Amino acid sequence: MTKGSEQPNPLREGLSTRAVPQPCAIAIFGATGDLTHRKLIPALYNLAADGELPPAVAVIGFARRSKSDDEFRNELAQTTKQFSRQDLREDIWKTFAQSILYHQSEFEDESGYQSLAKRLDQIDEERGTRGNRLFYLAAAPEKFEPILKNLKAAGLNKAKEGSWARVIIEKPFGRDLRSAQELNRVVSDAFVEDQTYRIDHFLGKETAQNILVLRFANAIFEPIWNARYIDHVQITAAETLGVEGRAGYYETAGALRDMVQNHLLQLLCLVAMEAPTDLSADSIRDEKVKVVRSLRRYRADEIAKLVVRGQYTKGAINGENVPGYREEENVNPKSETETYVALRLSIETWRWSEVPIYLRVGKHLPKSATEISVHFKKAPMVLFNRDSTEHDQNVLVIRIQPDEGISLRMMAKIPGTSLRIEPVKMDFHYGTSFGKASPEAYERLLLDAMSGDATLFARRDEVEEAWAFIDPIEKAWAEKNAPRLTFYPAGSWGPEEADELLARDGRAWRRL
Amino acid sequence: MNFWPAMAELGGDYDDCHPEELIKMPATAETISLGLPVAIDRIDRELKKLWSEGEGAMTRASLMNLAVYSEERESLTRNTRLLARITENHACRAIVIGADPHARNDRMEAWISAHCHLSRAGTKRVCSEQISFLLEGATVKLLPSIVFSQLDSDLPLYLWWQPEFAEPMDPQLWSWIDRLIYDSQSWRDFKLQMRLVEMAQREAKQRIVLCDLNWTRLVHFRLAFAQFFDHPGSHHHFREIKNGSIIFGHGFRSTAILFVGWLAAQLGWEIRSEKNAELIELENFDGKTVRIQLQEKGDAPIASFTAQSGEIEFQVTLASCGDLLEVCRGKLGEAPARQVLPSAENDSVKLMSEELMRGGPHHVYLRAVEKVRTLL
Repeated sequence: MTKGSEQPNPLREGLSTRAVPQPCAIAIFGATGDLTHRKLIPALYNLAADGELPPAVAVIGFARRSKSDDEFRNELAQTTKQFSRQDLREDIWKTFAQSILYHQSEFEDESGYQSLAKRLDQIDEERGTRGNRLFYLAAAPEKFEPILKNLKAAGLNKAKEGSWARVIIEKPFGRDLRSAQELNRVVSDAFVEDQTYRIDHFLGKETAQNILVLRFANAIFEPIWNARYIDHVQITAAETLGVEGRAGYYETAGALRDMVQNHLLQLLCLVAMEAPTDLSADSIRDEKVKVVRSLRRYRADEIAKLVVRGQYTKGAINGENVPGYREEENVNPKSETETYVALRLSIETWRWSEVPIYLRVGKHLPKSATEISVHFKKAPMVLFNRDSTEHDQNVLVIRIQPDEGISLRMMAKIPGTSLRIEPVKMDFHYGTSFGKASPEAYERLLLDAMSGDATLFARRDEVEEAWAFIDPIEKAWAEKNAPRLTFYPAGSWGPEEADELLARDGRAWRRL
Repeated sequence: MNFWPAMAELGGDYDDCHPEELIKMPATAETISLGLPVAIDRIDRELKKLWSEGEGAMTRASLMNLAVYSEERESLTRNTRLLARITENHACRAIVIGADPHARNDRMEAWISAHCHLSRAGTKRVCSEQISFLLEGATVKLLPSIVFSQLDSDLPLYLWWQPEFAEPMDPQLWSWIDRLIYDSQSWRDFKLQMRLVEMAQREAKQRIVLCDLNWTRLVHFRLAFAQFFDHPGSHHHFREIKNGSIIFGHGFRSTAILFVGWLAAQLGWEIRSEKNAELIELENFDGKTVRIQLQEKGDAPIASFTAQSGEIEFQVTLASCGDLLEVCRGKLGEAPARQVLPSAENDSVKLMSEELMRGGPHHVYLRAVEKVRTLL
């Protein structure tokens, strides 16, 4: 998954197994926002503390409020202390903070970008960042266009000879195919695809990366990873949290746009893709996009049957009463926004023919867990003269979060003179086997962007194909005679209709 | 776990001891930390019992077999202490061997214990088993058959060999090992020791990866110096470095020489001569002279390395706190931009953790040794 520079540094031999990040200036648009304080700066600090940052790095916060470099640094010190994976060490922070600067400007003000360009040139001179620029769009999506246009107007989209300019875009990448295409047009007007890094932090998680290792570095799985042996696949992203102050955004998005279009389809791609020809970013992304393209599109009349949308009503989470979605602050009391979605998908390839894929995502569910479970076909039980149950299946579970790991359920004989068999579980936990904490997803992804490795970032066609799949569902839901919204009490595992979705096929959701 | 009170005094997470079990412990100060004494033919059975009698949420974890061999007195206790810390980050089956091949009487004893640590999530205790052996007299020769029959199957064997190697080397021993860990810093005769190590490697048909902790000691310094040259635009300095100076601590001359060997191996330099104990002359690939000054000062293995290329100076210095490196690059006479990078203290646990974490072959080490073999 690495892409080395053309002239590798001979002194790195044996020391680094990944592409080395290059000196650069990182300009963060939306520098006073939550994402910068909670994720980006703590991630950069952790990289600094682990010695992973390149020798010359400058971080320039770009935002509208007026403040000095020192004020900005002091604010970041407080939040980094709160949100960093590692404790804040004064000596490391002090040195790292020297690389943080603040640039005040409105996003729409072209002159702010002209002055940014001058400041970046000066930083190159003073700090040796060599003209390399990474622009991180951590602002609200409606600000992307003015930011990108102004970056272009200031000439910041073009790197000088021997340098690079890249842009990282946070989701949402549009709210439907048309807006995604429009956003991609705006982006591509300023930055070519090679310069564009669309971040999906799910892909930066250790276990998500391990899916490819599990599948393609272990010879035992690939021969049985197909319709002949796999009965079905379930992908679950459950959250105990509700909308938690994001109601404004969530009301316009809903679970399908917020989670399925990006995170869950990305995970599905990793599970279902063919082996890439090599580990380059494009080889892997070529295979991933084929999966989305192969998803059977729903006919309008199928959506009510194959997609369940739900919304939580009042209930209890961890023993505490919580209000229903429609009673949340800033939510329309008649809101039709879904906080839960379950889908039955089909991938139309030889490998996955007749293997249903069930996805579910929901808020205010009993527990937070993201996982993929691969349910294998049952063994003929004639030998054991036993009534077949759902537990007869071997199930391979890849836990993405929390408690990252892999487990395999298999049947075993219960000790004793009679022949009784029961399921047992072989369980691998990252946290148990490896004492070292995994880096946060943003650490990995920022480092990859600095190194020019786009493997874990979504490509334009992936995003657009995903919207092309999602759009008909959203469209059907917006119709007058839309499939009805179902309800589930907070703290339950979703609406009954979601259980029926599987029950119709003689299956059940895995108990988490 | 009912026999872990023994570990309580090591400062680890061994708090649910049962006072009555103390009676089972051997009475001497050394063995009290080794756990439950067991007959060698009952080790497997006793280990199983240990887990079946365990209390609370505990998980046995193992990614490797880590055997530690020493011939020093009190080494069983000392190495148990080290393993209590190493297993915090590297779950393994630890096999600790204290040997005295020169003892007059033959003696063989074994103990089992476990090192338990709270998992990162803080919800359960993750435990690594330890089997300890005391071998005296002729029983030392039985090392492969007795000790290595206790391996956790299918997992690699790392052997941390703490004494100097001695002839004759037991060829049977090497056939078991995947990674051989040693510390050349303490070797009195580098050439002889290296010859024995390489012989072992040949006998194992190159299967053994050689892991020198003296080389591991240099990892952070090497990383810190290497990062100056990550941008291809800085590669011209490789031809232009004319001078360098290393400050090394008392007893760490070999560490400094290995660092020079690394530069020579990776930058295509050849040793021209060792002018004196304080100056090594090399020839770069353009035939130009590179002079590396060596200065012994203080206790840190490597306290600083400075290289000059034209007007530019590259400097890596160990910060006073001991676990950070200060890195700066700048024009001579001007205030350079500083950066800090992590380092590791010169501590056996940190070195072992670093080594166990890195894995992979050490081709660069072998090339570096080859370059400076005559100076070591």
